[in-house]
Amino acid sequence: MHRPLCARPTSTPGTRREFLYGLGASLGAVAMSDLLAKENAGAGPLAPRPAMHEPKAKACIMLFMEGGPGHMDTFDPKPKLNQLHKEESKLTQGLANGFKFFVGSPFQFRQVGQSGIEMCDQWKHLADPYVADELCNYRGCQAESLNHPEALFHMNTGSRLGADPALGSWVTHGLGTMNENLPGYVVMTELAMPQGGPGNWSNGFLPAHYQGTRLRPEGTPILDLNSPSFKDRDHLRRSLDELAILNRKHSASHPDHEDLSARMESYELAFRMQMTVPGAMDLKGESDSVREMYGLNNKETSSFGRQCLMARRLVEQGVRFVQIFSGGWDSHDYLERGHSARIQSVDKPMAALIRDLKSRGMLDETLVVWTGEFGRTPDNNKRGGVYSLGRGHNIDAMSMLMAGGGVKKGSVVGGTDELGAKAVECVHPIRDLHVTLLHLLGLNDNKLTYFHAGRYKQLSQFGGKIISEILG
Amino acid sequence: MGLLIPSARGESEGAQLFSLKVYPLLKAKCFACHGEDPENIEGDLNLLSREGMLKGGETSREVLVEGKPEESDLYRAITWEEEALEMPPKENDRLSPGQIEDFRNWIEAGAPWPDEARRRQYTDAERAIAVTADGEILNTSGGQSDEWTYRRYLPEDLWSLRPVVRSDVPEKNHPVDFFIDARRGNAGYDAAPEADPHVLIRRATYDLLGLPPEPAEVVRFLEDWESDSGKAWMTLIDRLLDSPHYGERWAQHWLDVARYADTGGYSNDYERSNAWRYRDYVIRSFNRDKPYHQFVVEQLAGDQLADQSVRKRLGKEGKALHEVRFNGEYTEQESEWLVATGFLRMGPWDSAMVKAPEARQIYLDDVVNSVGQTFLATNLRCAKCHDHKFDPIPTRDYYRIYAAFAGTQMAERKVPFLKSENLGGFKDGQALVRRLLSFATEKKELMLRKQEDAARKWFEERDLPYLGSQKRRRLPDEEKPPRYVGLDHVDQGRLKVREQDERIWTRRMERYEPLIQGVYDGPDPPEKMNRALKMRIAEKVDRVWLPESVIYSGGSLEAPGEKVSPGVLSGCGVPVKGSGAEDPYRIEEDLEGRRLALARWIVDPRNPLTARVIVNRVWQHHFGKGLAGNPNNFGAKGKKPTHPLLLDWLTAEFMEHGWTFKRLHRLIMNSRVYRQSDRHPDMEVLRKKDPDNHLLARFVPRRLTAEELRDTLLFASGELRSGRGGVPVMPEINQEVALAPRMIQFSIAPAWQPSRRPFERNRRTIYTYRVRGLPDPFLDLFNRPSPNESCEERHSAAVTPQAFALLNSDVMTDRSIALALRLRNEAADLARQVELAFQLVLGRSPDAAEHKRLQRYVQDMRTYHGKQPIPESSYPTSITRSLVEELSGKIFSYEEILPVYEDYTPDQKPGDVPPLTRALADLALLLFNSNEFLYIY
Repeated sequence: MHRPLCARPTSTPGTRREFLYGLGASLGAVAMSDLLAKENAGAGPLAPRPAMHEPKAKACIMLFMEGGPGHMDTFDPKPKLNQLHKEESKLTQGLANGFKFFVGSPFQFRQVGQSGIEMCDQWKHLADPYVADELCNYRGCQAESLNHPEALFHMNTGSRLGADPALGSWVTHGLGTMNENLPGYVVMTELAMPQGGPGNWSNGFLPAHYQGTRLRPEGTPILDLNSPSFKDRDHLRRSLDELAILNRKHSASHPDHEDLSARMESYELAFRMQMTVPGAMDLKGESDSVREMYGLNNKETSSFGRQCLMARRLVEQGVRFVQIFSGGWDSHDYLERGHSARIQSVDKPMAALIRDLKSRGMLDETLVVWTGEFGRTPDNNKRGGVYSLGRGHNIDAMSMLMAGGGVKKGSVVGGTDELGAKAVECVHPIRDLHVTLLHLLGLNDNKLTYFHAGRYKQLSQFGGKIISEILG
Repeated sequence: MGLLIPSARGESEGAQLFSLKVYPLLKAKCFACHGEDPENIEGDLNLLSREGMLKGGETSREVLVEGKPEESDLYRAITWEEEALEMPPKENDRLSPGQIEDFRNWIEAGAPWPDEARRRQYTDAERAIAVTADGEILNTSGGQSDEWTYRRYLPEDLWSLRPVVRSDVPEKNHPVDFFIDARRGNAGYDAAPEADPHVLIRRATYDLLGLPPEPAEVVRFLEDWESDSGKAWMTLIDRLLDSPHYGERWAQHWLDVARYADTGGYSNDYERSNAWRYRDYVIRSFNRDKPYHQFVVEQLAGDQLADQSVRKRLGKEGKALHEVRFNGEYTEQESEWLVATGFLRMGPWDSAMVKAPEARQIYLDDVVNSVGQTFLATNLRCAKCHDHKFDPIPTRDYYRIYAAFAGTQMAERKVPFLKSENLGGFKDGQALVRRLLSFATEKKELMLRKQEDAARKWFEERDLPYLGSQKRRRLPDEEKPPRYVGLDHVDQGRLKVREQDERIWTRRMERYEPLIQGVYDGPDPPEKMNRALKMRIAEKVDRVWLPESVIYSGGSLEAPGEKVSPGVLSGCGVPVKGSGAEDPYRIEEDLEGRRLALARWIVDPRNPLTARVIVNRVWQHHFGKGLAGNPNNFGAKGKKPTHPLLLDWLTAEFMEHGWTFKRLHRLIMNSRVYRQSDRHPDMEVLRKKDPDNHLLARFVPRRLTAEELRDTLLFASGELRSGRGGVPVMPEINQEVALAPRMIQFSIAPAWQPSRRPFERNRRTIYTYRVRGLPDPFLDLFNRPSPNESCEERHSAAVTPQAFALLNSDVMTDRSIALALRLRNEAADLARQVELAFQLVLGRSPDAAEHKRLQRYVQDMRTYHGKQPIPESSYPTSITRSLVEELSGKIFSYEEILPVYEDYTPDQKPGDVPPLTRALADLALLLFNSNEFLYIY
């Protein structure tokens, strides 16, 4: 069953609308009829739409650290916690029962760049002032679910249930896409899909066009994109021609059935997409120095680096929302090893992404967000009877980074208590973060609504507040 | 207004308007941000008083200009006409035109602001009148505020709560035709003519069986139609209703609403190993034409029916009765009832990383909402946190229904297999699972041995006596080897994977045990018995225990409020049988009868919702749309019925004749309306006047559902095997997806391994394994709904990825080859093969032009394939997985075995057949991709 991958043609995407998207969830869907309607009327579901107010960013790249990075081990130093290392903790967060003890961070912290933003010594590339001074570190966000899939759903869709539209779906619903030859909302995952799977980039009750398109890291980028290897393009062309004849005859006897022509056109689009999709994913055109910068030549960083580079290319070509998942941050034990390996795998690519966007003059219009689904606790319980140096899930505090598109450069917003147990300054729930991100993209959460099941639904569910401290 | 209080005569209408309309709106929509929280007053604008309004805020001094609405920013804001001056800011809170008008009139009247006592007089007087021009007050058990309790509903929004009324139908009229014709009245166009008989047999067969008719059946039907069309039609419907495929088709509609899946979803996505018994129960129930009221009661309270039966049968009570439950000593009938309670276990649920009380709340909230949607088309979820915003559902009623389930505990219960259940494939299945389980256990033991060897060494080096891993647990860190001693990150990662595998395969062995996913009554069991992996009925239950039920304010467990007793939806106006006049909607406290009482209330013939809801669903599956367009929501925000009189007439008829489905199908399908063509002579007019076909002047074509598509492909290729029920079937799915890593807690979920033999795989789609975390990509693409949400209506948008799947997928290649082989077997030459292909796929003969073209096509393709090399296809017997080890953040890999492929009978592949067969497969693929194949007319 292992088909050799078809040689990827390197044709440049044509100027015509050749691509249809929303191939997400497990492969997604897009109503052709709407697209055809667009051809006729000049405005389809993915056509670019004006923002609701002057936008700061035109596109968003979200780097999602699945598992929940420890804020006190990345960007939020807690010297007091280090002093209490291995002393008993009476904190009551999380689920762990029994004896708990504090865990100091294994990493040293330092201030970097002109802004003096703090980060642990594991961040080597991100610490470069050219990059670091672009960052805004937000420490005030609080999550609500202690469990991974629910928390992932919440951060991605605004709801813990995993059936609502994702942030990226709302954004493409609100703004359309700037290049209708590419999907408006692209998702890339590592090795395995994150917990909760496609529910994290689902269009929910929004039309299928707004579903995240998962570009598969290996194999065919989109399932069944290619013909079986023993059928060439001429074979396909001939078959599609025969199919069209059959369908035309059928349409003639059902002239009032509008779905028929949409289905017929979808085959022609499929024929063209076989060429354009691989073209969009091909990194051959990137220079050696760019490849090196993103870490493509190194085993530890090549996977995430490749995705970051793809993200830049996609945004450059007009994609509205790109999301990359990086797993393995759930360090309940051996945090030093776990987090340092994870940081290493994303540090260089992230820094390269920001540097690259900045030097191309794209950073101002691109909002980059780095986050997990929650933060981690200052303490841990004994595991297997041993003082295990890791951390539990913490919904009361976390740390995220933002850069570009209208955020306050070189700033730290919000703060956690002296142990990192709870956010205490500029505290906001996830819905406020969502409202803020939409705001930066020129959308008003209260007006970006969709009537479904008896009420106007919105990303924040019931409205939220803009975190104005983040705005530049 | 027209409403005047005697003592208030002479006072301005403005004061009255303010008291009854304006003030409640201010309170509901403005005060929260503008005054209620003195610490945080938005825009420094306090609307709590007239003075505050007149004073204005940060951005406006002209908030209220007496007598001049156009100059008052308050008024301008609520009209939403100016950018950046839109209040209230949320779409959902936006005022209606009538409400805006009230503000306008009030400001024009000088904006009087009577004090609270005066306002109270106005409201008291108003509330004494049940029906006013503003709507009517509906009696319920009462909201959390008087404003809610006495709010008014538009009469049309209460349609579903009115008693079912049966209107007269003139004799000799078919009731369906009568109501449809009457509603269309003089719209200016007629109904479409009758469709052709070959169209009708296909329509009817798909509707009732989800499959196309056999070519021979079509021939026979057309002959019968010639001689007596009426009789031919009746005979056809009877034959279809008698087919066992009928239950397989109609059960699917029910399972869409009930959210059937074979796994629990979320983190672990643990298998619900016995869910298949519930699926088969539903199929059986439809085939046996079980009256709907029984069907409902069994699913909600089958275990309580079984308890009653045991009491009667054995005279057992209390402890002795519980022993019967614990040991699962049940008769056929009792077992059937118990299997039915699988309904209460259908929602996605997992206990991982959730505290027990919260996990319990999540379960109960899900059940309550599911019961509301499924049986009552009522959105109860909204009333979890507050009185319902649109419908007469007080949050009190939510918690009264919640209380009806308060003692309902999930458990995998012992229930003997039924004679009617299919236990085929058990032996092979067990052997496979045993193999997978022992592989996991062996690999795990290997790691543990390695660890213990290192531990032994550690103790030896310190001259300390060796202690096993459990025994040394409590020692201080210095006195014992480190955790995972001797294991590097690869070993540790593998250990966790194998441990999770062991849990997964142990669980799957339960498929073959006489267990059900069911419920029982009792107190919350100890936490360790209540986690998703293994839930069992407690050996002893405290029979005196009664749950304490309260309203959780805002839906929060941390905010228990007023106590409630179990009860029903008061807004329906149907008392619980045997309840007192004081509280007619209350259910007896006795734990073991609560659900049964609720279920009996639901199927009480006076209940205005239950029968209407199911009749509407049946109608929907014959016509594509329900008479009421939101089959899961009959509330104010759901679509109103297009033909309320027809819906009521059918509902009354349904109830009067034993609540049976087959009779209802006959009634509907015998109408002229059902037999209408999709083509209409006045299409231009129709498109203009009724583009959505609300008046049903023609039949609306529909695309095959995902299940119909797969089943029909197998049917046409001759591969479909008609086994009934049993443990889930594993078809082949896209291999990339089957083997793709999928995260679950601690590990990657095992790969999808298909059933070994074609006859095991190629069964109807309803029998296939349904994993929440892994939708079959082919079915998903054709809009099979997610089982995480109740699906009231399927979608069918035509999208490009469907073209990829239908042209390029292995599934389609295999079906096409199978059909090609059938053509070669059953037809001697190319002309006959083309003819047969058309008959099998499209149910008709090709015309002369098609014949010519497609024979030519096959010949050309034969030449093409003669020159094309075919790649060997193979199935891997094991795969290497890699995963990030959590503790070290490093990647490790491990082997996963796929024993199914060691002895596997694949479908025939392109490489197994000569060029002509491949060319015929191209023809088959062409027809499978055609619009004619995909749509039902």
